[in-house]
Amino acid sequence: MSTTSTKESKSVAPTTRQRRRANLSDRAKSERRLGWYLAGPAFIVMLAVTLYPILQAFWDSLFSLRLTAPDDTTFIWFANYITVLSDPIWWRDLGVTLIITVVTVIIELILGFALALVMDKAIKSLRGLLRTAILVPYGIITVVSAYAWFYAFDINSGYINHWFDWIPGISPDLNWFAEFWPSLSVIMASEIWKTTPFISLLLLAGLAQVPSELTEAAQVDGATWWERMRKVIVPNMKAAIMVAVLFRTLDAFRIFDNVFIMTNGAHGTEVLSLLAYRTSISRLEIGLGSAISVLLFVCVLIICFVAIKLFKVDLAGTQGDK
Amino acid sequence: MTSGKQKITWAVIAVLVLLYALFPVASILSTSFKSPSDLTSGKFLPSSGAGTLDNYKQILVGDAQGLFLSALRNSIGIALIATFIAVVLATLCAYAIARLDFPGKKVVLTTALAVSIFPVISIVTPLFNLWRNIGLYDTWPGLIIPYLSLTLPISIWTLAAFFRQIPWELEQAAQVDGATTWQAFRKAIVPLAAPGVFTTAIIAFFIAWNDFVYGISLTSTETARTVPAALAFFTGASQFEAPTGAISAAAIIVTIPVVLLVLLFQRQIVSGLTQGAVKG
Amino acid sequence: MPKTSAATNRAGGKRRRLRSLAWIAALAVGTMLLPGCAPSDGVPTLTWYINPDDGGQADLAAVCTTDAKGAYKIETSLLPKDAAAQREQLARRLAAGDSSLDIMSIDPPFIPELAEPGFLAPVPADVAKRASKNVLDGAKAGATWNEKLVTVPFWANTQILWYRKSVAKAAGLDMTKPVTWDQLMKAAGDEKKFLGVQGAQAESMTVWINALIESAGGHILLNSGAKADEIKLGLTSPAGKEAATIIGNIGKENLGGPGLPTSTENDSMTLFQGDKGSFMVNYPFVWPATNAAVKAGSVKQDVLDDIGWTLYPRVDADKDTAPPLGGINLGVGSHSQNKELAYKAIECITTPKNQATYFVTNGNPPSNSTAYDDPRVGKQFPMAKTIRESLKLAAPRPQTPFYNEISTGLQQRWTPPASVDPTTTPQESQDFILAVLRGDRLL
Repeated sequence: MSTTSTKESKSVAPTTRQRRRANLSDRAKSERRLGWYLAGPAFIVMLAVTLYPILQAFWDSLFSLRLTAPDDTTFIWFANYITVLSDPIWWRDLGVTLIITVVTVIIELILGFALALVMDKAIKSLRGLLRTAILVPYGIITVVSAYAWFYAFDINSGYINHWFDWIPGISPDLNWFAEFWPSLSVIMASEIWKTTPFISLLLLAGLAQVPSELTEAAQVDGATWWERMRKVIVPNMKAAIMVAVLFRTLDAFRIFDNVFIMTNGAHGTEVLSLLAYRTSISRLEIGLGSAISVLLFVCVLIICFVAIKLFKVDLAGTQGDK
Repeated sequence: MTSGKQKITWAVIAVLVLLYALFPVASILSTSFKSPSDLTSGKFLPSSGAGTLDNYKQILVGDAQGLFLSALRNSIGIALIATFIAVVLATLCAYAIARLDFPGKKVVLTTALAVSIFPVISIVTPLFNLWRNIGLYDTWPGLIIPYLSLTLPISIWTLAAFFRQIPWELEQAAQVDGATTWQAFRKAIVPLAAPGVFTTAIIAFFIAWNDFVYGISLTSTETARTVPAALAFFTGASQFEAPTGAISAAAIIVTIPVVLLVLLFQRQIVSGLTQGAVKG
Repeated sequence: MPKTSAATNRAGGKRRRLRSLAWIAALAVGTMLLPGCAPSDGVPTLTWYINPDDGGQADLAAVCTTDAKGAYKIETSLLPKDAAAQREQLARRLAAGDSSLDIMSIDPPFIPELAEPGFLAPVPADVAKRASKNVLDGAKAGATWNEKLVTVPFWANTQILWYRKSVAKAAGLDMTKPVTWDQLMKAAGDEKKFLGVQGAQAESMTVWINALIESAGGHILLNSGAKADEIKLGLTSPAGKEAATIIGNIGKENLGGPGLPTSTENDSMTLFQGDKGSFMVNYPFVWPATNAAVKAGSVKQDVLDDIGWTLYPRVDADKDTAPPLGGINLGVGSHSQNKELAYKAIECITTPKNQATYFVTNGNPPSNSTAYDDPRVGKQFPMAKTIRESLKLAAPRPQTPFYNEISTGLQQRWTPPASVDPTTTPQESQDFILAVLRGDRLL
């Protein structure tokens, strides 16, 4: 349904445009003006809430500035950046953030794909129920998810240990939040649970765009389910997969809520966002904290750049002007 | 055409998906009915049958009432206003993108994309400083404005996708029939655009409702503190006792609107998210 | 257009929903404007930022508002649960020059950081004189910075040693005499029970380390008034090594139970009330909380009857113990518009009678020694004498504007307890904290 209407509006567009060009150039001018009148407010707001703060952060990052000692502020050029980049804590937190990002995105992609297939193929009577259920984690507050998982695994208030004590390594005495890997696993589980629905909806959209003639033809040719998946379906929704992965990667890279609630960075589970938060908001070291914020932003830019150049993810093209 | 075997397979799949999606919710729901002594029982369900309502009483009519109810009011108010503003601005913007020919269209879309991937934590520190200086710290506008950075980009994208599918010829047809531009817009276009706007509003609301970082960084009293931020303020009977029950009860209450919206508008949310994000 | 008709049909219902959404939004805008137009009856309102408790501070605010007979009224505003987060909120608002901070409940270790940049209004000389009368030494020390009283002591907390009489008896410990950590560790090990200590990466870890080092005769901070880059630490002293030995051994020998690395005050209490409970260092809140649990049926009466208490354990058998010191002092923000009234209100809040009431209802011990003579106190808290004695011996945590850095550094490097090694941890943590203070390292 959606594809037909897109095609139609596409075929309409050139004729209107031609007519306009032939008409008054005044009209084109006024259309331009109207365009910016309408789009302008949103554009300005977006810039105001991001571009301004990041520039301010960059400026602040050049100072040694502590909120509880406002008189000692000094301009120190890039010394804060040197401090951050030469510190093992930055690299450790970057590592933890990358581990979380890579692991969650891979699992979410697989799980999300399975859920997308289920939603796509489900028999009619189940479709609404399944979609509704899958949307629940999507809508839930991340902090609530973090508490739910935390309380379930916590050594005092949890029941998971008691349920699964038949698995070697799990006993009522297992303290999930006392060590790096167990606590990181629960953090990632919560993150995966909460965000997989988003990725699966993006993939569902991609699935809908695989021409059904192709899959049917493959089926007639006697291709197995696995072969159809690998040779027809996945290649045809590559764009959707890439966009989903990029969006989730950037989102996972910003992870904060789950870590903050569950461990607050204890036992080496600190992530970059938490480091930035603790430095500028808790320690009130505005200069140093701003440097971390700017570096975090640079990391996101790098990921984006790599994705677009290396994997040719065409973000604007997915929706740009056609 | 579904055979018996297929039905069973689907039943199994459905149960698995439901377990996956709802189990953590059930888990915290059950915790919210536990009394303090029950918390350490190591069991999923509260031991005394139906459990206790004490945790809900504590946050709705008891000691934590002031803390929770004001946070709930702030959360609802701030999220709704942020949603409203975002949707209005995004509607205008998306209309222009889908409908008008003007240079810089791509710049606007790219900006929206860039803003949506922006690390929130990078914005918090400068905003915190700025808000302190101009008196927006710990106020409603002080949260609504940064919430726009979360809600605006996705609103623009989702709505632009919706508006592209609207058959705009209807408007011209109406104009030919003698209607004014405004009438044509209102009679022909608004009914078509409304569902998209509404869906966008739900998605934007979810995002504003979910915020935590701004909530804990830019507020400090009950005048603007939102529910996710307020959860860290709960305590047991004394400052050293764990507030597990109260937090769980509060968590369940803020989940109710989400579940309601999902139940009522499942179809719209799915179509909104799938259309806005990927258009091949 | 096959889509059009269906879309129009659907749009009708949507439009109604849309309208109701607009109404909700309009309503929300309305409620936002409401708090702005509160009636003013001319009575100055003092805002008291309180740490979470069992409602006692709000009650005292009401009592003093009545006592003031219209001179002022006190409203309370809540701070977060966690001590470090309380400091964060207050520091942020004070740095912002906020005039609403009339009265603040402040955890003593954070006072120098707020006093040094002049965020706190000076205590008037007459108030200071009255407010320090009969105040227990530990509490007075915590309220002082640069030899001046900068806040008014309200209540003072201290940890005492709680024990299960049955376990102490089985282990052959004479609890009427001072006991040492070594004795407790041996007793818990022999009886196959767990010690209740706070091993989580939180402020409670600094509390523990400080008490151990002070008990062993050392100090974490050697020069209290020093600038950030001139600070000297005493972690590598023999006292620091003794502290590391105790914490490390409790961790490595699993004497604190599996929950040790995440254990907070509340977790220790739960452990202590259970089958594995033996000895525990913890605050007096344990007593009302356990009584309440008995009433609710989750703890048996014979557990309550089995509980004994004495002073915080010693590190060296022949050296007095130096128990942890906590509590809350009341400060006035320097931008407050009602400083005089705020100090009047503080004097009302901190009368010995009100302190006693607060102790009895909320379990937080008075800082004024005469408050312990109140008959209600002895009835509710049979261990009141022990608490008063403990407060006399108690040692404050390092007093410096850089307390947050020192404390956070210690918390990061001395957890989990099993990883603490007396030969390396004190040195490493000391180097780390000094580097952070010099601005060379992130925290």
